[in-house]
Amino acid sequence: MNLIKIKRQSWNIGIVIIALGLGTWQINRLPVFGSYEARTILLGILPIALLSMGQAIIIIGGGINLAIGAESVLINCLAARFMAGKSFGIGVALTIALLLLSTCLGAITGLIISRSKIADIIVTLATSFILIGFAMYIQPSPGGGMNLSLAHLVSGKGTAFLPPLITLILPLLIIWIPLYRSRAGIAMYAIGSNKDSAFLSGVNVDLTRIKLYAVGGLFAGLSGIVLTAITLSGSPFASISNTATLNSVAGAVLGGVALSGGVGGLTGPALAALILYFIPTILLNYGIDPAYSQIITGALTIIVVLIGGLIRNRGKKK
Amino acid sequence: MANLIKKAQARTSIAMLSLWGILFTLFIITGLVDHYFFTISSIGVTLQLAVPLGLLAAGQTICMLTGGIDLSIAMIATGAAFIVSIKSPSGLGWAILYATLYCILIGTINGLAVGLFGMNPLIMTLGMNAVLIGVFTVGITTFLKGSSTMPDIIIKLSSGTIVDPISWPLVLWVVFGGLIIFILSKTGLGRLIYAVGDNATAARLAGVRVWKVQLAAYIICALFSGLAGLMIGGQSGAVAMSLADSLVLPSVAAVVIGGTSIMGGIGSYTGSVMGALILTVLSYLLATLNSTEAVKQMIYGAIVLTLAWTYSKITEKS
Repeated sequence: MNLIKIKRQSWNIGIVIIALGLGTWQINRLPVFGSYEARTILLGILPIALLSMGQAIIIIGGGINLAIGAESVLINCLAARFMAGKSFGIGVALTIALLLLSTCLGAITGLIISRSKIADIIVTLATSFILIGFAMYIQPSPGGGMNLSLAHLVSGKGTAFLPPLITLILPLLIIWIPLYRSRAGIAMYAIGSNKDSAFLSGVNVDLTRIKLYAVGGLFAGLSGIVLTAITLSGSPFASISNTATLNSVAGAVLGGVALSGGVGGLTGPALAALILYFIPTILLNYGIDPAYSQIITGALTIIVVLIGGLIRNRGKKK
Repeated sequence: MANLIKKAQARTSIAMLSLWGILFTLFIITGLVDHYFFTISSIGVTLQLAVPLGLLAAGQTICMLTGGIDLSIAMIATGAAFIVSIKSPSGLGWAILYATLYCILIGTINGLAVGLFGMNPLIMTLGMNAVLIGVFTVGITTFLKGSSTMPDIIIKLSSGTIVDPISWPLVLWVVFGGLIIFILSKTGLGRLIYAVGDNATAARLAGVRVWKVQLAAYIICALFSGLAGLMIGGQSGAVAMSLADSLVLPSVAAVVIGGTSIMGGIGSYTGSVMGALILTVLSYLLATLNSTEAVKQMIYGAIVLTLAWTYSKITEKS
């Protein structure tokens, strides 16, 4: 048991070491490093980290959500449209309402997958179309805004790097850890590693899946709110949602979540976002054309999944 | 055994019948909404517009039959169209050769990654798509600078009418679609594609080089996508980065609606052709409704989901 625990942590430790190495490299290149730079880095990783965490929960449960980026973009557009010029109180109320909405959207996706028995790839590809269409309907062109004091509460201001740090860690503490320790958490790992034996052991597979997609939706909603707080606008672009989805899968896999399901946690994906942020940033610092960032993201995802798979396979053979 | 085959045949015929039913219903509804739809020339145009989707679905069918999926088809198609339009001043033959080599190259990379390195096909091809978007975004301002109009002969082949409602693209579709049906039902490769998709382990133990079959599947898929790209480019007259973006979900949807299992091993190209026709009539119907792109996208996604759901329910019961 202890050995398994160490093995599980070894992945996270590996990520931390790589992230620290890349971080030092990046920080050395900066003229000064203070709390302002720390906040910039946190803001850079926050949306990817939250989305990767949401994707990780779903992948652990044996699924995949290709609409997670679209969920985030939709919440981003809704938030920017309706929060622009509103007071702090209304902003908070809207945030709660939107988080509820994204949770419901996730739950509905899970319900459709369970009821229809269509592969999750197809259902989520189709829902991503619907959600992006809805986002384009809400916010036909980039724009909108958010109450500034609410935005500062979520993402900090100037040198205040604590708010984004709290936004990153709080969901881990109040959503992931209770879930991980609950029956639903055990059921999540059970259906991820073997759906049939989980069912035969009395796990309600459909209900568990719905819960997972709901929590995934909640994380996507959080990511959308954070995006609004950082950019102070809503951007209804399918390309943003595709890149975000791709990043979320890369983050989850790099964070030690196996695409076959049943393995991994959420701390890894949260840390992996650091690596996904540092590598393009460092490459761009070396004077590489920003147009290459798509290539970097895509290639990085492929390499990460490839190496992750190879390491895992070697571990199995041993 | 004979009983099983009979059951399977009954299921397929009921499924095909329901596909014809859906197509017929959509056809009638479209005709009622738009009175010009019931003319021979507009039927010809609809068939013509179905060709690129049908060709993309051909590649996708082969990939899905092996248990894979190819989401990089959008950029394979767009890339092939770009290469032909830019290289055509130096001779059409060379242009087509370059485009073919490009398709084979991308198909080979996808196939080797999936077959030999055990990459998850979804992630591999999504990542590949992102890389290609990056390459071509950079390329059109540097090494792929040049004309963005398609050569006349391709425009003729992709939108020229012979006798209403028969057009050149339709002839091409019949030829290449027939080729796919022939490969799948009469050749050894076709048998192997079904065998690998049904049970890769069993196929490997029976002496099949599974990776070679997967490699072939991805190369065929890439070639068909490239051909589809030329058709789309020819129909719109010029190439653009987002040329085939809107056809990725439909290509997957056409195959799924047509009864091919995303798990592999079950399905046929005939079903995918029906799927492609249904989706083309559907987008014609949506185009006649006076609504924004956002609303169209929402309706489209919802209908695709409903169709896939209905279809899986019909085949489940019988």
